[in-house]
Amino acid sequence: MDKDLRLGVFLCDCGGTLSKVTDFSAIKAKLQKLSDVTYVGISHDLCLKRAQQAMQKDIKDKGINRVVVAACSPELHEKDFMNVVQSAGVNRHLLSMANIREQCFWAHPDKDKAAQKAMAQIGMAINRARFLEPVEQTQISVTKEVLIIGGGITGIQAAIELSNLNLKTTLVEKEAALGGKLNRFANLYPVQVSPEEVLATKLKQVAEGQNIYVLTSAELLDVSGEVGNFSARIKRGNGEFVRNFGAIIFATGYTTQFSSQIYGLELSNNIITQSQLEEMLKSSSEVKQIPKSVCFVTDISDEHSRVSPLSALRNALGIKEKFRGEVCVLCQNLKVDGAGLEKLYRDCRNKGVLFIKFDNSPRISKQDGKIKIEVEDVLMSGEQVTLPCDLLVLEETSVPPLDSKVLGSTLYMGLDAQGFYQENNVHLYPTASNREGIFFAGNCHADLDLMQALTDASNVALSAYQLLAQGKIAVEAEKVMVDPNKCRFCLTCIRACPHHAIQEAKVNHEKMVAQIADLACQGCGICAVVCPAKAIKPKDWSDEQILAEFELLGEYV
Amino acid sequence: MKAKGAFLPDIVAFCCAQSAYQSADAAGSMRITYPENIRVIRVPCAGRVDVLHILRAFEKGADGVLVLGCHEEACRHLSGNIRAKNRVQRVNTLLQEVGIDGKRVEMFTLAPNQGPRFARIANEVNERIKELGPSPVKSGA
Repeated sequence: MDKDLRLGVFLCDCGGTLSKVTDFSAIKAKLQKLSDVTYVGISHDLCLKRAQQAMQKDIKDKGINRVVVAACSPELHEKDFMNVVQSAGVNRHLLSMANIREQCFWAHPDKDKAAQKAMAQIGMAINRARFLEPVEQTQISVTKEVLIIGGGITGIQAAIELSNLNLKTTLVEKEAALGGKLNRFANLYPVQVSPEEVLATKLKQVAEGQNIYVLTSAELLDVSGEVGNFSARIKRGNGEFVRNFGAIIFATGYTTQFSSQIYGLELSNNIITQSQLEEMLKSSSEVKQIPKSVCFVTDISDEHSRVSPLSALRNALGIKEKFRGEVCVLCQNLKVDGAGLEKLYRDCRNKGVLFIKFDNSPRISKQDGKIKIEVEDVLMSGEQVTLPCDLLVLEETSVPPLDSKVLGSTLYMGLDAQGFYQENNVHLYPTASNREGIFFAGNCHADLDLMQALTDASNVALSAYQLLAQGKIAVEAEKVMVDPNKCRFCLTCIRACPHHAIQEAKVNHEKMVAQIADLACQGCGICAVVCPAKAIKPKDWSDEQILAEFELLGEYV
Repeated sequence: MKAKGAFLPDIVAFCCAQSAYQSADAAGSMRITYPENIRVIRVPCAGRVDVLHILRAFEKGADGVLVLGCHEEACRHLSGNIRAKNRVQRVNTLLQEVGIDGKRVEMFTLAPNQGPRFARIANEVNERIKELGPSPVKSGA
């Protein structure tokens, strides 16, 4: 704690709306009596430039060295106020905020109680401000090159976008050719273009792209380093090499899997999976026996996936166009929640595809090679329907590719319950991984259709561009700090860090200690809690700051 | 300054900045009210909340402590919420050992847009703590 504290409290009544419910001058008078409070100002619009300029001037003129802002939620304008503080010549981290709008006057209709709570909140913020510490800003230069793992349509799209933005990319595909799933799909309904055409256009763009380096039959083995300067070990054929990248994009997609246990049925010549049907539709050679009636069963094994119902719709239409047989889709809840999918469903209906909705799973039996399906049709009040069919197409579940688990664990990336990559936060950072500089695109982290996967790829490309375009990244030096004198190098923090941001380092050429990589650290403070020696201190959320907040407990209630 | 008679518990709510803090904001924005005796402390992740912080809150006179984090599998820091859950469990046992009702500390998970849920949790916990009465630490019992 600084000995010479000069606290400045800036109150904002949100355009006069908060002054209507409470008397700000009374709050000001109370605050002025508190120790170390040098200045208390009332503003009506601290979020606007003019008021911020005045605030900046006040900080400078009054020699304020700790700033407390009592206004709206820090989620809204904390960054702006940090900038104001910085421009006034005070370190931007010497700011503490009290949320007197959303969490006080807006939430509590009782005026007196709200005013009391506001005082308590400002008191808490002031107490916290006493323990704030400066964090210096520095810059780190980065490698302006992106590694993309997976040469499916998502990876290709990301590479094209980055190339157009003048950023070098290396596209690594484990198979011999680019294209991934597009090589296997027979059609891309509701898109009217064939997969071959889409792929050809994209591959042409890849070939013409000045900045794209394609590596087929190659695999990523390992990555060391951190955002801005990853070094990736890549295997190609019998050789191995290491290259440096600023960011990594995973576009490893998904694969499908059929589980016979769910149905108690084995695959045979007239019971096939969606992918087998896909092959059948794609092959140019004549099919020996054209099926007269085809049934699809979906929504049994995995209610959450969209892959199965969508491929049922696409292929139902494909069959109608190629073989013109009877097609019936047995489903529970058909999800048509994407652009053009409702139309795809309607097209299926118009072409004569029958949809039967069930609640209880249909009973499928096979006698003398003939398939019989018995199902209770929900829309006909549960009436029993018996369907004979020549060809039964069963759904597959989408699962992560085999090697994604291995890759995930070597790179310390989180996986979700099904084994797909887990985004940093589904709502706030949907394309970022738990590690800075590593991104997820397409179906390796979410259940997307083609158009959504392309959008996702573009978003990720922009995130990578944003990170690397300047050639250097601003970083807050030692925002989480390890005290080398206290650190016993027990490795607890290294294991606990969710972002793989802690490494070992040597101090004074002898003692090994944990060291936090500023770029990779996301400031969660988990390491500070697990450290048995209490050697780690997040400067923005130190124990002192947190404890200081409830120092006043009960006083204002 | 406390009004005499009715017992108003002091409740400290550690709120993850990624979710619970925003849901508290959302409650305010939607003008959904909750007891004003809940003191929200913003933390970068529920995983930042130490056993020490919770115990110190009781020492300073809290009647109840809430740890509010993200839903499981939605933690920005992968396991912060699960770590928090385990720590709350630990504090629960510690409190029981020294004769304080373990129910005074609880963990809940929220999404950033769950304003109504935040208010509901605040109300429920407030009622529960009211029934338990003032913390024995506070009254010096």
